Amino acid sequence: MAELLLDPNIRLWVVLPIVFITFFVGIIRHYVSLLLTSQKKVSLQQVSDGQALVKSRLLRENGKFIPRQSFNMRKQFFNNEESGFFKTQKREGVAQNPMADPSMLTDMLKGNLTNILPMIVIGGWINWTFSGFVITKVPFPLTLRFKPMLQRGVELASLDASWVSSASWYFLNVFGLRSVYSLILGENNAADQARLMQQQMSMSQPMGANPDPMKAFKAEWEALEICGHKWALENVEDELIERSPTPVVPYGPHNFLSKMKVK
Amino acid sequence: MAAAISWEDARDQLKKWREESARRSAETLELGEFVLTNHRGLGDEVWAVHEQVCIAALDVGDIAEASSAIDALKAQFPQSKRVKRLQGMKLEAQGRFDDAKLVYEELLKEDSSNAMIRKRLVAIFKAQDRIPDAIKELMKYLESFMADHEAWLELSELYIQEQHYSKAAFCLEELIMSNPHNHLFHQKYAEIRYTQGGTESMEIARKYFAQAVKLNSNNIRALYGLFLAATHLASSQKGTAKSKKDNIRYAAWASQQLQHRYRLAERKESEPQVQHLEKMIDSLQITAS
Repeated sequence: MAELLLDPNIRLWVVLPIVFITFFVGIIRHYVSLLLTSQKKVSLQQVSDGQALVKSRLLRENGKFIPRQSFNMRKQFFNNEESGFFKTQKREGVAQNPMADPSMLTDMLKGNLTNILPMIVIGGWINWTFSGFVITKVPFPLTLRFKPMLQRGVELASLDASWVSSASWYFLNVFGLRSVYSLILGENNAADQARLMQQQMSMSQPMGANPDPMKAFKAEWEALEICGHKWALENVEDELIERSPTPVVPYGPHNFLSKMKVK
Repeated sequence: MAAAISWEDARDQLKKWREESARRSAETLELGEFVLTNHRGLGDEVWAVHEQVCIAALDVGDIAEASSAIDALKAQFPQSKRVKRLQGMKLEAQGRFDDAKLVYEELLKEDSSNAMIRKRLVAIFKAQDRIPDAIKELMKYLESFMADHEAWLELSELYIQEQHYSKAAFCLEELIMSNPHNHLFHQKYAEIRYTQGGTESMEIARKYFAQAVKLNSNNIRALYGLFLAATHLASSQKGTAKSKKDNIRYAAWASQQLQHRYRLAERKESEPQVQHLEKMIDSLQITAS
């Protein structure tokens, strides 16, 4: 097939504008979502449930470092048949139906508003404005399977698969710019800190929200139930002595060991 | 100090201290004042620096400086609870504990899951030297925030002050579970057990001293602890012949390790400490037996 020549105007007026548009829409979306997000309130109950689960997990993983009696004491605290934490705590399932909770609903709406809506609008607009021609070419050959991905809107059977249409270029940008955003709007930028200051985030929030504590308690109860105690320090002294053999002490008369035996 | 370093260095140093939450209040205050002279360069970081300076100022008792920082923050974030907390801390620093408590309780009414404010309530009791009350408050806090290791450490300190060693040991067990590779937790746990006394506690103490040495072979304090605990057990009336022999072996090993460490150190310092050490170990043995 003969080589295609594209109008340089396409580069100037289509390829680059699409890149800029997607980029700046992404930036704007970031700040709009900052404005719209409401600080999620976490109830004390949720926080403490989350923390109890963390503690139980630590007990399972690192319980071997504490003496057996202490381990059993903690296990009883969680799993005792009558008074154990996981047995006695009753929580009704929170948020079984997200529609029932109006705050959840508005959150979902805001998420849609900032994520899906711009994508549809911009994508539709680009598809409508720049439809029907290829705008760039990837510099390597591709198999036919890539055609529907790269040539959306251009249905030509004979066209080489490495040509890219405008709509596909837009989507490539939307997904490809993600890492650029994280570079520019990274987690720990100054804007973020000011936001933290305003909203006063409590430190244990990430662990807080758990959709259904009863289920999590049940799972943790089972895991802890089958968890036995094998003390990691059972022979620690001997291991220690074996690992670093006694250095030779060049003080002849002073032999500690013999003195101890004499007594 | 401030004159000697550039503005950028001062800013970076402050940031480092902020992230490590280092308590170097006098220096923080000095650097902070210097950095804030050019607050344009800070951008949004300026508020974090204001807060840092405010806390440092409260720590050294510079109420005026703290007030100006709070005013600046309040103008920017009139609704912020974090600023309200700073105001509470200012009241604390002025010794008006009851007023501060009112501020905190007001804040907790709005958001009961705020860990930092609940910790302030403990701090008030501690500042008033009402340790039992502080313990009670901290226990209430830990009921909800069971995985907060800092709080467990604080509780163990408070218990040690009150000489409730078995309870302090419980807290240390929590810390060991949270970070089983920190030799200092093991060492501290062993020290508490050693202080408790009794054959069983002493054996546990010996094990944990050994674990601390295993995790960090340069932990001299734990080596001494291992030596003392083993010597104590070897010289006690109870115990089988085998356990006695083992304990003698452990004590011998620990003392030789200690001598080895001191000889290594001596090479650097060229001061004859090994003789002192030998004498000391001998004397320890006599007192123990």
